[in-house]
Amino acid sequence: MSDAVASARATAERISKLRRLNAVLTKQTELRKALLAQAAAARPTGVLYGMPVAVKANICTLEFETSCGSHILEGYRSPYDATAIARLKAAGALIAGATNCDEFAMGSSTEHSAFGRTLHPLDKTRVPGGSSGGSAALVAAGAVPAALGSETGGSVRQPAAFCGVVGIKPTYGRVSRYGLVAFGSSLDQIGVFGRSVHDAARVLSVISGRDLRDNTCEDRDPLRLPTVPENLDGFVIGIPREYFPPDLDPGVRRACERAIRILRELGAAVREVSLPHTPYAVPTYYIIAPAEASSNLARYDGVRYGPRAEGSLADVRALYRETRGSGFGAEVRRRILIGTYVLSSGYYDAYYRKAQQVRALIAQDFRNVFDRGVDLLFTPTTPTPAFKAGAKLADPVQMYLSDIFVCTANLAGLPALSLPIGRVKGLPIGGQLIGPHFLEDEMLEAAYALERAVPAAEEA
Amino acid sequence: MSVTSDEVMRIAQLAELRVDEAALPDLASQMSRILDYVAQLRAVGAGDHVKPFIPGPDTIRFRPDEVNPWPLAFGPDEMAPAFKGGFFLVPRLGAFGAEDAPGEEA
Repeated sequence: MSDAVASARATAERISKLRRLNAVLTKQTELRKALLAQAAAARPTGVLYGMPVAVKANICTLEFETSCGSHILEGYRSPYDATAIARLKAAGALIAGATNCDEFAMGSSTEHSAFGRTLHPLDKTRVPGGSSGGSAALVAAGAVPAALGSETGGSVRQPAAFCGVVGIKPTYGRVSRYGLVAFGSSLDQIGVFGRSVHDAARVLSVISGRDLRDNTCEDRDPLRLPTVPENLDGFVIGIPREYFPPDLDPGVRRACERAIRILRELGAAVREVSLPHTPYAVPTYYIIAPAEASSNLARYDGVRYGPRAEGSLADVRALYRETRGSGFGAEVRRRILIGTYVLSSGYYDAYYRKAQQVRALIAQDFRNVFDRGVDLLFTPTTPTPAFKAGAKLADPVQMYLSDIFVCTANLAGLPALSLPIGRVKGLPIGGQLIGPHFLEDEMLEAAYALERAVPAAEEA
Repeated sequence: MSVTSDEVMRIAQLAELRVDEAALPDLASQMSRILDYVAQLRAVGAGDHVKPFIPGPDTIRFRPDEVNPWPLAFGPDEMAPAFKGGFFLVPRLGAFGAEDAPGEEA
């Protein structure tokens, strides 16, 4: 039996034992069969030979349904692999099923999946975060060493922080979006979860690099992994004061203060900085992302793919409305309506145009800080640990605010990662590093050093 | 910013989205809450001189003008709910199909 076949069998077994989490949407028998077929075809010389990598259900694979966690794409199989998937396969990795997510990646808790919520692996009464909650939970539970997710406004880093794993969002343009189902095209990037910085970075290195099939993908070589540094001498790390508001959870604050002390002990120069437009990031994001989503999701109409609404429909517009009205869930419908509203005549300037201008100011804030000698920023990833299921469903704005520290990097197109920095009452806390465009290598160096030094499993 | 049920219905029609009448008051309330929240951007001093930020490459990169192999493992006939003779089947447009039987596919 080859190493890859053994890995495929063990992976199928581990995922089967974790069914209660509802982290994987692929049926067990189908998953096992697909894993074994991939193992038989995997190249032994690949740098990820035999490594199982689970994939969020909004990234196209030939093996599994790309449902996006939505009834409107239930049963849909892609006729092609996403570029990231093709590269993983070429490196010998095994695609380990489609993971649960908020419908079309719209949510922060994975409660908005049409196929039921994913449970937090440490506390089933809590959420794993979202929208890539299935991928995060699966890595945290030890079923796979790495998984792909997608980021539009923090959907990898936020669940990584809640579940106690590493989550990387690359620079916009570092990884091809070909085969990533579009939500907010100026924000979307494929991201990576890992048990460690190294696991996540290895996968990121494989999937990165130029791709003629995506014009927003930069003409650059794949990311080269840095070596693990002895210390952080020479690094200047900025602490943006806007990310430490008075109402920050005390446990999150303690964990961050401890991590900052460790960064200093490692030799980094730490200085306070300001990103003054941070308070406007969430409102900016919740105009731009729904606007782009309302356009991107217009293609789901029951004509070319996906299910069509049942029954006798009088004309084609009734077909569209019935299919979309019954196929999309409540949060997606709400965002399509908001997006259509802010793009409609009479409101475009007041909302969409204004949000685009504020986005430019947010991006300028980061440039100002990096231009003044700061190499990286350190912040909390989330304002609180994982919250209780149902706690934020009644008020969409409260749910949106759980992304307050993560959506800025998406708006500015910057690379960022979350890594575990401690626990509060047993729940993981994430710390975030944000870097300048395409300097993932420096961000990873600092993450390697911090990961080795921080007592992530201890109470803060 | 208060959104009325009538406005929600108008927006839903623009978005080609059926919304149950019973759900309109709740949707109007939620949209009003969200729009009130995002309206805080009006307080930001950003004049017309601020150029919108668009991430990604500065220039458009053109692909070679060549015919590549068909990249799909299977065709639209396997994906579409109704497909025949190379066409996607849909009901007639209401405005043009009045004389035809309702629901007849074109």
